[in-house]
Amino acid sequence: MSTHLSADQLLHAYRVMRTIRAFEERLHVEFATGEIPGFVHLYAGEEASAAGVMAHLTDEDCIASTHRGHGHCIAKGVDVHGMMAEIYGKKTGVCQGKGGSMHIADLEKGMLGANGIVGAGAPLAAGAALAAKLKGSRGVAVAFFGDGGSNEGAVFEAMNLASVWNLPCIFVAENNGYAEATASNWSVACDHIADRAAGFGMPGVTVDGFDFFAVHEAAGAAIERARAGEGPSLIEVKLTRYYGHFEGDAQTYRDPDEVKHYREQRDCLMQFRERTTRAGLLDAAQLDRIDNEVEAQIDDAVRRAKTDPKPQPADLLTDVYVAYP
Amino acid sequence: MAERSPAMSRIPLTVGIIANPASGRDLRRLTAKAGLFSSTDKAAVVQRLLGAFGATGIERVLMPPDMTGIAAAVLKARDSRQARGHWPEVEFLDIPLRQSVEDTRLAARRMAERGVALIAVLGGDGTHKAVAAEVGDIPLLTLSTGTNNAFPELREATSAGLAGGLCASGRIPPEIGLRRNKRLLVREPQRGLCEWALVDVAVSPLPFIGARAISRAEDLAEVFVTFAEPWAIGLSALCGLWFPVSRQAPGGAWMRLHPEASEALLAPLAPGLLEGCGVVAAGPLEPGVPRSLALGCGTLALDGEREIEFGPADRPTVTLDAYGPLSIDVEAALAYAARHRLLRVGRDHPQHPVNRFPEDNPGEKQDVHSPVR
Amino acid sequence: MARKISYQQAINEALAQEMRRDSSVFIMGEDNAGGAGAPGEQDAWGGVLGVTKGLYHQFPGRVLDTPLSEVGYVGAAVGAATQGMRPVCELMFVDFAGCCLDQILNQAAKFRYMFGGKAVTPLVLRTMVGAGLRAAAQHSQMLTALWTHIPGLKVVCPSSPYDAKGLLIQAIRDNDPVIFCEHKLLYGMQGEVPEELYTVPFGEANFLREGDDMTLVTYGRMVHVAMEAAGRLAREGIDCEVLDLRTTSPLDEDSILESVEKTGHLVVIDEANPRCSMATDIAALVARNAFGALRAPIGLVTAPHTPVPFSDALEDLYIPDAAKIEAEVRRVIEGRKVA
Repeated sequence: MSTHLSADQLLHAYRVMRTIRAFEERLHVEFATGEIPGFVHLYAGEEASAAGVMAHLTDEDCIASTHRGHGHCIAKGVDVHGMMAEIYGKKTGVCQGKGGSMHIADLEKGMLGANGIVGAGAPLAAGAALAAKLKGSRGVAVAFFGDGGSNEGAVFEAMNLASVWNLPCIFVAENNGYAEATASNWSVACDHIADRAAGFGMPGVTVDGFDFFAVHEAAGAAIERARAGEGPSLIEVKLTRYYGHFEGDAQTYRDPDEVKHYREQRDCLMQFRERTTRAGLLDAAQLDRIDNEVEAQIDDAVRRAKTDPKPQPADLLTDVYVAYP
Repeated sequence: MAERSPAMSRIPLTVGIIANPASGRDLRRLTAKAGLFSSTDKAAVVQRLLGAFGATGIERVLMPPDMTGIAAAVLKARDSRQARGHWPEVEFLDIPLRQSVEDTRLAARRMAERGVALIAVLGGDGTHKAVAAEVGDIPLLTLSTGTNNAFPELREATSAGLAGGLCASGRIPPEIGLRRNKRLLVREPQRGLCEWALVDVAVSPLPFIGARAISRAEDLAEVFVTFAEPWAIGLSALCGLWFPVSRQAPGGAWMRLHPEASEALLAPLAPGLLEGCGVVAAGPLEPGVPRSLALGCGTLALDGEREIEFGPADRPTVTLDAYGPLSIDVEAALAYAARHRLLRVGRDHPQHPVNRFPEDNPGEKQDVHSPVR
Repeated sequence: MARKISYQQAINEALAQEMRRDSSVFIMGEDNAGGAGAPGEQDAWGGVLGVTKGLYHQFPGRVLDTPLSEVGYVGAAVGAATQGMRPVCELMFVDFAGCCLDQILNQAAKFRYMFGGKAVTPLVLRTMVGAGLRAAAQHSQMLTALWTHIPGLKVVCPSSPYDAKGLLIQAIRDNDPVIFCEHKLLYGMQGEVPEELYTVPFGEANFLREGDDMTLVTYGRMVHVAMEAAGRLAREGIDCEVLDLRTTSPLDEDSILESVEKTGHLVVIDEANPRCSMATDIAALVARNAFGALRAPIGLVTAPHTPVPFSDALEDLYIPDAAKIEAEVRRVIEGRKVA
């Protein structure tokens, strides 16, 4: 288990989390102008989960993401301008404007796609893990899903299969407390998603998703285990989303103070900054510099995305098949 | 059984139950072979306690709500045939939930304010410590539902509940049924810090709280324990296998560790995790004497969980004293109950064997009070 | 060429030869070997009807039994296909698609387009189709039209041992997801099959019989029923041209139109239910593109719009037979209205 993080690794983790936050907060603002088409589900508040897990992965390792996938994409190294352009429906988007927010993928980076179907990524990740096992590589696959996804049969079947085949697959349940507008403490019968692991013969743990170091440590243990051929595991990451299910959700089902409490008391970026500086591992000036660089990067991504060209009419019919007579 | 006073104004005999919904799910399922204590299991333990409390004269039980279905399961079971007329009244505290240790602390404070005679705690060392620090001399009935527990005992809740109920209702004298425990206090005056530990304080070079549990010998630099039992699990066992100290002894023990120490010891750091630990030195921990730490920065794990990050500017100390919580000595209490036949039931008691199947023998019901049938 | 083997053996041989040729090919499915974890024989079944029998021992570690868990293992096959593997995944009966449609419809079929042309998903989903085994409503369907409707999928339905081998090899080498429909009544059919590797291209219909009076378009087992009808109609002086589509996606539109231009008459035969079927699709194609060539309205022979019944008395009525095809051909040629 790699609990030691160098200053460079710490700075990278902070940059990833800060980039996700800035990306999502900017989308929140831009969506309100009406310029962004379709559905957008923001990951803000959950950054420590993506950053903590992805810190252990390389491009050889795969992840399958969810409809709330921007954070996973950024943490897995997908190009930020390409993502922004995709969300704006532009030809320069990572999917050439044909996927949108819910389908951002970059297979070269091991990013098997955000997914508009809740729970559907889990079998795909199991398949990527199977491929790694059959090829004899050291690769692992991570399936992200939410508390809502944790109730999907696809996730149960993938967990069972991963255990039966002893696959290097890690199931990460990001429990943000709500599946759309339904509370997870109502919809998840056993309440702790981690408890479900026992039913599939794998270990399950719960970690604090506001704490990068907690996620990083647990994910490290699970991934190391998978790489060593010891099979799958489940990590339930408890966190919250700062925005609604999708942009435009008035969130009347939530206590108005709930998000305020988490933002003020538990925020992952705030905690990370406070603890790394107090421990003397990073100084505030380094972190401020990252904040400024990220801000400029997002500004640039949005500015370009707005003026980038849209797909051409001919693009409608391309890339349905690799080859079709 | 306990007599119920007809006076309506009397405050019902009340105890509390706090079940930590989060216990038993930490990293050690991945790094060791720790098992799972599910919410379903915890809810069942609570119900077993309620049955025992009802049978020993407890009239009201206070419980915190929770988000994991323990309270919900109890609510559902409250109207079952097993519960009706047998359980005490169950009242759920009206407290906000933050899904952190704060929930446990707040529930404990509210119970103390309500003057409960006893608090049953379901959790690990950490949960017990959180409750103990809030409730002064209210006795704790300790039940293990955690991962690495030395303080609470692994004991069946039905029997423990009988002991707790008899103590709470005053039928077992405190000098028989209660036991005083030691504690460790971690202080850092500049930060205004004063935290409790009931079993152990570990000093770790790990810089961050992270996933809290400590699973590797090299993550331990120094350990302080209130008691060092060789048959325990975790840091108490580590010290106990080198320098045993009983729960009853006035002092505790300390140990300093380093991977390259000349001597090493195989110790069960967690369930299923036997680690070779390099022992630099070990010795007795005198009560009342503050100890400074061997490391200048790192984390402090209190009762098994990293909780405090400290840096070069901090000067934390660890002090052992004898002012820890009172807890029920289940063995002593039930031995006393046996000597005094405290669980004897008369023929008028609904659970006397002759009253088992009254609907099958309607005629017998009238005979219940006749001395000879 | 003289060697005759069965449709089932042809499939088995294609799998074995492709696995030997390409180490990224592997097969998976419920009881594809059979006996996993059980005390008795391994490779006990080799697929529920024995189609993959023997491969388990020939290719250690590459014939994977799965739990009964269609969404899990079909999804895993899709995931593996995105990672440089070429899984041949068996969905025992096409009817079980109800359990795992999402992984085919929303995942495999859409990756390439949805990800801007960057994904390749070379998956073959082998599945048993068709009625006639008294297997009733949930084990007998012919869902060709369902798959054909979905952009991104290719749909294959071989009618002979020769085509089964050649089309399966093509499917395995193809870089798109392919639904490979095996008619369960054809497994025992014998036919000439070359021992060497060969492919049958997708989207090229097979002219099985030449004729000037009538075009019969069909696929799968109905090819044989149509041939039987054509033989009898020839004795009445009606010469039918019989087209075996081989694949419904891609669809060989040119061959259909070319034949109708010649014969001026079309009857489409489809074992599937009639609404939104291959039969209606082909009828629409011809009506739109060769209306001028038609000398009579188009005829259709399909199953009724009902589930597949169990009792032989009913199932035999459900499945189109030669007599029904002959009657429809005569009706079309004589210009009579549908009764």
